Amino acid sequence: MENLTLNALFQQILIGLSRTTILFMVASGLTLVLGVLRIPNVFHGSLYMIGAFLTYTIAQYFGFGTTGFWVGLAVAPLLVALISIAIERGILRTLYDREHLMLLLFTFSISMVLSDAVKFVWGAKFRSMSVPPFFEGAVDILGMPFPRYNLFLLCLGPFLAFGLWFLTNKTKIGKISRAASVDRDMVDAIGINVSLVFASVFIIGCYLAGLGGALIAPMQNITQGMDHDIIIEAFLIVIIGGLGNIWGALLGALIFGLTSSIGILIWPQFSIVLPYIAVITVLSFRPNGLLKSVW
Amino acid sequence: MKKRVWLSILVILSVSLLTFSPSAFAKPLKVGFIDAYSGPASVYSNDVVDAFKLEMDKVNAAGGIQGRQVEILKRDSKFKVDLSLGHAKEMIMRENVDILAGTISSSVALAISNLALKEKIPFFVTFAKSQAITAEKGHRYVFGIAENTTMAGKAAAAVMAKKPYKKYWIAGDDYEYGHAIAESTWEMIKKINPAAELMNQTWWKVGEPDFTPYITAISSAKPDMVILALGGRNLVPFLKAAKATGFADRFPIWTHTATELSNLRALGKDAPLNTVGTSNYHFYYPETPANENFVKEFEAAYQRKPAVGALYGYLAARYIIEGYQKAGKVDSEKLIDAIEGMTVDSPVGKVTLRAYDHQALLPMFVGVTASDPAYPDFLIAKDIVTVPGEELVLSVEEVKKLRGK
Repeated sequence: MENLTLNALFQQILIGLSRTTILFMVASGLTLVLGVLRIPNVFHGSLYMIGAFLTYTIAQYFGFGTTGFWVGLAVAPLLVALISIAIERGILRTLYDREHLMLLLFTFSISMVLSDAVKFVWGAKFRSMSVPPFFEGAVDILGMPFPRYNLFLLCLGPFLAFGLWFLTNKTKIGKISRAASVDRDMVDAIGINVSLVFASVFIIGCYLAGLGGALIAPMQNITQGMDHDIIIEAFLIVIIGGLGNIWGALLGALIFGLTSSIGILIWPQFSIVLPYIAVITVLSFRPNGLLKSVW
Repeated sequence: MKKRVWLSILVILSVSLLTFSPSAFAKPLKVGFIDAYSGPASVYSNDVVDAFKLEMDKVNAAGGIQGRQVEILKRDSKFKVDLSLGHAKEMIMRENVDILAGTISSSVALAISNLALKEKIPFFVTFAKSQAITAEKGHRYVFGIAENTTMAGKAAAAVMAKKPYKKYWIAGDDYEYGHAIAESTWEMIKKINPAAELMNQTWWKVGEPDFTPYITAISSAKPDMVILALGGRNLVPFLKAAKATGFADRFPIWTHTATELSNLRALGKDAPLNTVGTSNYHFYYPETPANENFVKEFEAAYQRKPAVGALYGYLAARYIIEGYQKAGKVDSEKLIDAIEGMTVDSPVGKVTLRAYDHQALLPMFVGVTASDPAYPDFLIAKDIVTVPGEELVLSVEEVKKLRGK
């Protein structure tokens, strides 16, 4: 293993961390909705896919330059949030009291509808956009080329974590939603409009899915099926972290992102299975996830 | 008396039917295409049937084949074996097709090939790249009109092994096509250059969303040459990532069909330069009147440049047209006898269909991606080396061995 130098390992960890950012973004939105609203939101992945498609269309409108990328990044997640408002106010609002299984089936059916809607609007062909010129190419980190766009993602990670911490611990809505996730009836009883709190949390969660999709858009094929890929990973992350626990989602995303990137360096032939082995290992020692589940 | 009048009318009618314009009464000659006509793969499959139709339209205008108009039927395979088999059966039983053709998926092609053998219907495989179609699982009723993984791998290896590369790295899609093409390439490189060394291999799942960790891991090993075994869905995003991360600038890479128009058009400005690729067809090469004429006709009919699928569609049409001509009548067995060993003219020169295994001996073009002011929207292949098909296919002895004879 002559290629296994410390520098290479360090770089692979950084790459893993940049991937963790996207995973954390999507998984934290999922776990937020799961923890507060108690909804296993299967169409979370569809919103991620729609975020990516919207970013593409917006960037295309501006001719795929730097402007297109930034406008897409700013606007696409907001449009995704708008879609989620429509779904929440229109349908989900009336279903909060149903069983989890019903909600699971229900959000699953919405995910089917959304994926057909994407096929209807954008067609079955895959799309592909490039990173803006500013992020093209690589910078040298310890003598190894490190892609600039990943560096950008890497820098976003801490901001995201801080933002979520701020939201849940320092804002009123965060505090109420934390309380609601522990005892919904009690919060209702003291006269707080839980329905509105739920709506805002849901929209924030969905916004994060859209943002994840917008950020991944220049890195991969924007295609049908990316919703399923991400929702499976996001659910695994949420499960190993502890249902509804944001810091659990961070831990889970770290485990998932790092095992896959380090595995690629150390054991390339079998790297595909490593994250899943990690999931199985975690669950066999801590069946309820690493951190406290709010369920 | 009455009876005799009726009889004479009948005789006159049947005689006139036989002598006057048989094409007006003859039933059409039906060709059934099964291929992926929806989804991303339609980029490749539409060219096949479009070019096929172009040739058949000309024949139909001139009176058809043996006086029978050629009718093309299309069914969408959606990459599903069971669905495609259903379509094939339906077209054989209800439409009475004379010939089957398609498809891009190797597993679908092998399944239909099996049915074609049972039903004794000639089946022209116009895209699928598994070697098994004409080798291991080959039979009298199946024809391989496209190159296969062995041919592509050998062509690339013949060019790569002559370069001073020593340390190779193989990376690709973890499925049958990926492993098959990597294996055949590496085998050939080892044969030509025994000093070549395989550092390691990386395999990712089909539809892998993010290639960056793989790219950085390979970069840190510093190979001399990277063999990329990429199939349809992963090819475009990987090459894009290779450009965005600067990977393609630092390491020479080869991947089959990297120089193919369908892919370069999809990549646009995201295509990396200096990537070695292999393809059966370029609309700008070879610069022969035959090719220029083909491109002109195709563009006039469909308002786009023909990609590799168009060559396959054209060849299938030519073998069928000239096969029936030689056979002298519309009969499957006679058609097969006529096509075996037949050589037809094509945009890439003369192409022979080998008699033993029904594999078209297509030449392979190995080239390097480069920009050209004449085509500002996409890259094209330059420094093209042509490897003749005869040097790329398995020998008849090897095929016999694979078939267990």
